[in-house]
Amino acid sequence: MEIIHNLAFGFEHALTLHNLMYCAIGCMVGTLVGLLPGLGPLSTISLLLPLTYSIPTGGALIMLAGIYYGAQYGDSVSAITMKIPHASSIVACIDGYQMTLNGKTGLALFSAGVSSFIGGTVAIVVLSTLAPLLGELAFLFGPADYCALMLLGFLCVSFVTTGGHMLNGLAMALIGVLLGTIGTDVNSGAQRFTFDQPFLADGVGLISVALGCFGIAEIVKNLDNRSQFTPFSGNIHLLPSWAEFKRIIPSALRGSAVGSFLGLLPGGGPTLAQFGAYALEKRFSKHREEIGKGAIEGVAGQAAADEAAARTSFIPLMSIGIPENAVMALMLAAFIVKGIQPGPNMIGQHPELFWGLVASMWIGNCFLLILNVPMVRYLLSVFKIPYAALFPAILFFCCIGTFSVNNNLDDIYITAVFGVLGYIFLRLDLEPAPLILGFILGPMLEENFRRALLLSRGNFATFVSRPISATLVALMAAFVIWQIVAYVRQTRVSVAA
Amino acid sequence: MKDQQLTRGLVLIAIALGFGIPASGYQVGTFSRAGPGLFPLLISGIVGLIGLVMIVRSRLEKKPVPMTFKVKNILIVLAALVGFVVIAEHFKVALAVVYLVFVASLAGSDYSIRRNLKICVVLFAFAYAFHTFLGLSLTLF
Repeated sequence: MEIIHNLAFGFEHALTLHNLMYCAIGCMVGTLVGLLPGLGPLSTISLLLPLTYSIPTGGALIMLAGIYYGAQYGDSVSAITMKIPHASSIVACIDGYQMTLNGKTGLALFSAGVSSFIGGTVAIVVLSTLAPLLGELAFLFGPADYCALMLLGFLCVSFVTTGGHMLNGLAMALIGVLLGTIGTDVNSGAQRFTFDQPFLADGVGLISVALGCFGIAEIVKNLDNRSQFTPFSGNIHLLPSWAEFKRIIPSALRGSAVGSFLGLLPGGGPTLAQFGAYALEKRFSKHREEIGKGAIEGVAGQAAADEAAARTSFIPLMSIGIPENAVMALMLAAFIVKGIQPGPNMIGQHPELFWGLVASMWIGNCFLLILNVPMVRYLLSVFKIPYAALFPAILFFCCIGTFSVNNNLDDIYITAVFGVLGYIFLRLDLEPAPLILGFILGPMLEENFRRALLLSRGNFATFVSRPISATLVALMAAFVIWQIVAYVRQTRVSVAA
Repeated sequence: MKDQQLTRGLVLIAIALGFGIPASGYQVGTFSRAGPGLFPLLISGIVGLIGLVMIVRSRLEKKPVPMTFKVKNILIVLAALVGFVVIAEHFKVALAVVYLVFVASLAGSDYSIRRNLKICVVLFAFAYAFHTFLGLSLTLF
């Protein structure tokens, strides 16, 4: 009963005219930008984050959340219609694009839309039950536990985003941590890595790092590839027959369950959830032999999981205060800019923000379903703009975004530097997503690391003597050993071969 | 640099040294009373270690993954961004936008002055909208 009461309270806040408008704009702009080749949710959010600075707190968070799942949906649309994969929609390319080849684009888009709606709805129920409970648990967390949780997050994100090359991701996360130490040390007031430059005293700006690595570096990478996408020009017949519709539902429900769970884990989130759901469909679906050849189930399951995980990944952020992937790290940054520290106290201190955001997610879901799905054929016309015309505009928006943070044009220099760095990283096969997570969590990690050791008088046993951190450390150890064993086996095989 | 793995290791070690050497100059302190230098030193140590592992791995690999690094596009984009700031600070933002579009599009697959002018007009409209509706303190003229 309490959940219903809380949700009603949330809807009261989300259903104001302004918040509805922010939600709609967020979904719409997110979808449009997410559709563009080379712009996944991470680049979309970092590009649009500065726009929310001038909006009141509640509305800004609602809009950002809308941008996030809008971008997610836009991604899957471009994956289904044109096989343009982003990190977040690799799975949608498989069956979705097959369906396009079979002339069933509309059905694929409809399945993805409806499944997303189902996934989102299930996840919101999970979110509103679990987040307050986990918030209670978070009060038990000490500095050592926070440290261990963040490190586990680094490991998992490194593993998920780099497709198994965990060391690359880990190195990026740690470089992010190092970048986060630039500026004034909060404990001693000492200037670190500032080289007596006053503009570095407050550290490097998040927007500069994010837009450099995701905006500019990605643009240049796309320019290097010179791949031209032929815009989708076929007809879209959206509505399915009743028999087809009935096939969507069970897959979507399975996907929602998997997605809700996988979204909760450190390093989890949409990418992991899609693969999980797809594997599940391959095993348990009634039409499993069709999967991979353009089956509705192959689209519906992963789309539901994608959306569900995108929502439930808010749970660790809002109840413990630790983001579990790079997108959530950007969300954390947005919360902090607005003067709100997510964590166990957030639900108690800002119930209107928390429940308003939860309710707005469902409203956003409805917007996606009733606005974006029917309008998808018009949205697809962004592909008529050639990339050569698009990227100067994106560069301009990167400049505007950087400028708007401090109203300072010089910040664009820093963005440009990170663009070059990000490009070098990309060329070295170093994925920038863990870097952002490390950059945002770095100061928290240092703070908790120092506090834990201060409390234990320099004794590292504190990380294994507390039950929570001991469990997390054991998980990390198991993970690392598994990776080493896998590497050794793989090299043995390749040497033998 | 033909070997991606080797270059990656070297870049990581360079970054580790870039942070580690200044960090060792700060007060390090003890674990129970950490100074400002301790944490960066620790982290850059790990980054350096990962770099070393990659170099060792690259020596073990039979077929190294080659590097693909194209200097042209990143330089064009860099020139566009830097010029944008310089022109916007000393002259007018509108002029900087025109510069940005005309220089950046050199990196595109084809070049069209007509299209560039169209993009400029669209961007002017956006800049104007940001200024009027979102209160961005960037004035075109």
